[in-house]
Amino acid sequence: MDRRNFLKVVAASATVMAVSPSMIRGNLYAADGTLFKAYDKVQLVDAAGKPIKASALAKEVTYIFNYPHASTPCMLINLPKGTSKEVELASENGEKYVWKSGVGKERSIVAYVAICTHQMTHPTPNDSFITYVPTTKKTMAYDKGGVIVCSSHLSAFDAGAGAKVLGGAATQPLNSVVLEHAADDTLWAVGILGSDKFQDYFKSFRPELKEFYGGPAEAKKLVSISAKTVKLTEYSKEIIQY
Amino acid sequence: MKKSFTVLALSFLLAGSLNAAGNDHRTMLMKDMRTMLDAMEEIQRGGLYSSTEDMKSGIKKLQSTLKTLESEEIKFILPKDQVYAYKFAQKSAHMLRLYSDDMIVSIDAGRMDEALEDYTQLLKQCTSCHIRIRNW
Repeated sequence: MDRRNFLKVVAASATVMAVSPSMIRGNLYAADGTLFKAYDKVQLVDAAGKPIKASALAKEVTYIFNYPHASTPCMLINLPKGTSKEVELASENGEKYVWKSGVGKERSIVAYVAICTHQMTHPTPNDSFITYVPTTKKTMAYDKGGVIVCSSHLSAFDAGAGAKVLGGAATQPLNSVVLEHAADDTLWAVGILGSDKFQDYFKSFRPELKEFYGGPAEAKKLVSISAKTVKLTEYSKEIIQY
Repeated sequence: MKKSFTVLALSFLLAGSLNAAGNDHRTMLMKDMRTMLDAMEEIQRGGLYSSTEDMKSGIKKLQSTLKTLESEEIKFILPKDQVYAYKFAQKSAHMLRLYSDDMIVSIDAGRMDEALEDYTQLLKQCTSCHIRIRNW
């Protein structure tokens, strides 16, 4: 292969990966510390198993699906307007990475791991202290709505900018779920962006995970094929938002 | 006139009794918090001196204090500017019960590393609640 062809192959591979992150498997560390971990490509489906269509998502409603593990809740939100692009974020260890943007026709659909990066507050079938606060609602954690709020210690995250920390005790953004929006309007989760705390989560909430999922092995099981996506109001009996 | 005096007197009595009830609840909370501190010290001592009896005794003591925190009475106990956050305090109490129950299971099964991890989580729940409710 000559130099020109080699460069063509490299450029083509880079384009494929940029357009479709699900082509990558395993950890991807860039020179600047960018961290992206690919998991099985999983389709978001409703409670009946029918594929979720991006255009059918209600605006400013928090949906929940478990990904990449059977017990790790993530939130899916269709924001009122398109998100920012190419947002530079930093983990609490100072690793920098870039959150590209929302997906969908209006670039308004985002997904984040719903485990607060401060003390790992997360939705359970009993209750949820973490949720998206619509633009018309008020929160004690920030001066306006349109943000994700953890009401345990009042951390606020920018839903339209990679869940960047806006206020409160959290020291790094929520992890992002990397989404793909297919030509048939379906949504797919393909990986996690950011420094995740899944192992700490499994360790810290062992008794709770045992109660809801049966045991550590079941809780850690990786999700494959599809992920049931329901409204937070259906996922948790009670939503507490300050 | 007589009627007005009666209404006024009754109002004072009612206000007084409500205040007394509030003080009673707060006294109860202070007592419970001291008991919780003793309980946590006992569990830690048990862990450090390899005494499962001390650990279990501490857990029993700790769990005896949770009823108030888990109930609606918590609203009368919290500082006035934090009453709205009573659900958070109730959740903390629920987690204390969950971890302490698990600690007993872990001790009985001889899984001491898990029991001590439960102790760490108990302490974390205490500090988490204090950070929030006491505005640390």
